[in-house]
Amino acid sequence: MTQSTETRSEPALAQEGVVTRFLRATEIDTRLLGMVGALILISVCFHFAGILRTGNGVFLSPRNLWILLVQTSSIAVMTTGMVLIIVMRHIDLSVGSLLGVIAVIMGYAQVYVLGPWLGVGHPAIWIITILIGLSAGALLGGFHGYLIAYAGIPSFIVTLGGLIVWRGAAWAIIRGETVAPMDETFELLGGGPLDASIKATGSWILGIIVCVVIVLALYFGRKSRQKFNFPLRPMWAETFLGIVGCGITLGTVLLVNSYYFPPKLANEYAERYNIPIPEDGFLLSKGFAIPVLIAAAAAIVMTFVATRTRFGRYVYAIGGNPEAAELAGINTKRITLIMFSIMGVLAAISACISSARLNAASNALGQFDELYVIAATVIGGTSLAGGVGTIYGAILGALVMQSLQSGMTLLNFDSAYKDMAVGSVLVFAVWLDQIYRRRAN
Amino acid sequence: MLKATVAALTGALLLGAAVPALAKDKTIAVSWKTFQEERWKTDEAAIKAAVTAAGNKYVSTDAQGSAEKQAKDIEGLITQKVDVIVIVAYDSDAILPSIKAARDAGIKTMAYDVQFEDPSALYITFDNIGVGRLMAKEVQKVKPAGNYAFIKGDKGDPNATFLFKGIMEVLGDAIKAGKIKNSCETFTDGWKPDNAQKNMEQCLTSTGNKIDAVVSENDGMASGVVAALKAQGMDGSVAVSGQDGDLAAINRVALGTQTVSIWKDATQLGKKAGELANMIADGTAIDKLPGVTKFNLGKKGVEMNSILLEPTTITKDTLDVAIKAGHITKEKACAGVKAGSVKACG
Repeated sequence: MTQSTETRSEPALAQEGVVTRFLRATEIDTRLLGMVGALILISVCFHFAGILRTGNGVFLSPRNLWILLVQTSSIAVMTTGMVLIIVMRHIDLSVGSLLGVIAVIMGYAQVYVLGPWLGVGHPAIWIITILIGLSAGALLGGFHGYLIAYAGIPSFIVTLGGLIVWRGAAWAIIRGETVAPMDETFELLGGGPLDASIKATGSWILGIIVCVVIVLALYFGRKSRQKFNFPLRPMWAETFLGIVGCGITLGTVLLVNSYYFPPKLANEYAERYNIPIPEDGFLLSKGFAIPVLIAAAAAIVMTFVATRTRFGRYVYAIGGNPEAAELAGINTKRITLIMFSIMGVLAAISACISSARLNAASNALGQFDELYVIAATVIGGTSLAGGVGTIYGAILGALVMQSLQSGMTLLNFDSAYKDMAVGSVLVFAVWLDQIYRRRAN
Repeated sequence: MLKATVAALTGALLLGAAVPALAKDKTIAVSWKTFQEERWKTDEAAIKAAVTAAGNKYVSTDAQGSAEKQAKDIEGLITQKVDVIVIVAYDSDAILPSIKAARDAGIKTMAYDVQFEDPSALYITFDNIGVGRLMAKEVQKVKPAGNYAFIKGDKGDPNATFLFKGIMEVLGDAIKAGKIKNSCETFTDGWKPDNAQKNMEQCLTSTGNKIDAVVSENDGMASGVVAALKAQGMDGSVAVSGQDGDLAAINRVALGTQTVSIWKDATQLGKKAGELANMIADGTAIDKLPGVTKFNLGKKGVEMNSILLEPTTITKDTLDVAIKAGHITKEKACAGVKAGSVKACG
């Protein structure tokens, strides 16, 4: 949707046959290609700007990309729900404050209730904490949904109120104090500690499983199309998709595995698990971090919900035309309530990731996150007019936003310029999207 | 110099305590801007205790976060003919007509913690530039040379720049001499710990972990900094500063992952203000108060008589100060600390 789409469309005009045929055969979303292109462009620019400025480019280093994935995960989890909320022609401005209040509730529970009660470090603490957090998220989100669906208050107002109320509640619970430290197992959700990533072997196993799933999905997809007499992709297109899908998966595995722990931590790990340290030093790969896996799982589950369940189809139907959906017999009120409740649960998952990552819960946690979540969703191609939006697009949008921010911090940009750039990109991206849509129609 | 003034002040107060008859039956009033923030309750308890200990009467009003209400409050206090009004101004400009009215009625005023620029009033607060200086000094003590990262507060808050001024006063020479290298310097949106963590991660990535000390402008951000250092196994070996005396930060100081937290003890400030108010009520001229200095760093540069208290430095060695003051329980401060590693934890 940014420049690469533009450049792509020019050769497309010249040799329409090949490119159009290719895209039609593989059924690749051209806007997805645009997003990926933009992401690559941003990364390469930052990398070379780094080389020019300091002599060594760090942006494309495994370390920075690994951190980038972890930094994006909390926002990414929330975008998966925000897409569907916006598709339904609603908005949720309260997600940042929900994150804050839930993080504080969980922090309070761990440090002041469960810790003294069960004893610090008790293995049940993290499970109870997460259950408390998720139920709080479902309840608070559901409460918003109730006010919107049954009391008829516009979602903008309800969640704007929520934005203010829950931030205040977060302060009131702990009186502005920062609660720390978190339970040691709970902390793993943030990706910081030694055991918070699945290392090289785990990542390869996961990568191979994903590859097998991709191939199976293509195979069964083809079979069911045959069954219903749907048009089939040509065989070469299927093969191409399989190779690209597996290539990206295994490439990512290779990437996260080439970021190693600092020697001191690697040795600590070796000691803890009685691994003999080789003479030339012990290299320990990070592999996928737990928060990244959580975000990926959220994306997969939410994509499934959106595209493969009745609930998901209803959400898109409501977004496309609320009156028609209601007349068709869809219980729009119930769907709205459930959707906001799901959003609350996702905010709770993000609260787990954020507070575990910081190893502390403070009432400022998640402040302004609603803006980043909404911006990422919109950059990712979700239309504020409702009815249109994809979860993978929103996640790419979140990656674009975080890349911009972290890239500029790496270059020591003044934060004032950072804000200006991020805001401009938001508007620019939506503008390009509009042009694209107009042309596509 | 500050230490000397504080000592002189304490001496004078001891002297005052020896002749309590002098202070009898005066009325000290405090006009609070709000009680919404919890800390003001701590201040009030300290002022009240100091005032009543000298046999004076304490009255107070709460402006509930409104400049208009505060003006009416002060009007009422003037009518009551109190002897001294201590003011925590909600709006430091809107308060000025009320100050003039008090002055015309012959009532002395004190600006408590929040400055308003009226030359007749006494301004009492913690030395804010001093906080930056103290932070830098403690970090420099541990790491006199090496690569420094500066995690500053929100760019929109003048305090962030104010603190940095104090930090650079201390470190400027060492930076010029090349002993200390400014490796990363960044503002942190909203003073948010998670933003500080991201900034610190980026700093460590771009320098390849070559960081020896981090000057973080408050404790909340220090928690993010320490989390980022921990992920690289560097927590405890890198010096980290902070301020506010956050309970979690004091625990980090005990654990050794944070070097120092500068703490502005509201009880200390309140107690001093109460004692000074007693002296003013007894007729001591404001410019003759022990320890008074001239201060003209406000917005308009008005020169005021002021008492600037030095904040408390909480390090591993001085941890017991916060415990003894009742600010934090020993249990909380020492949670997870290895026995014998910190004196105050035993």
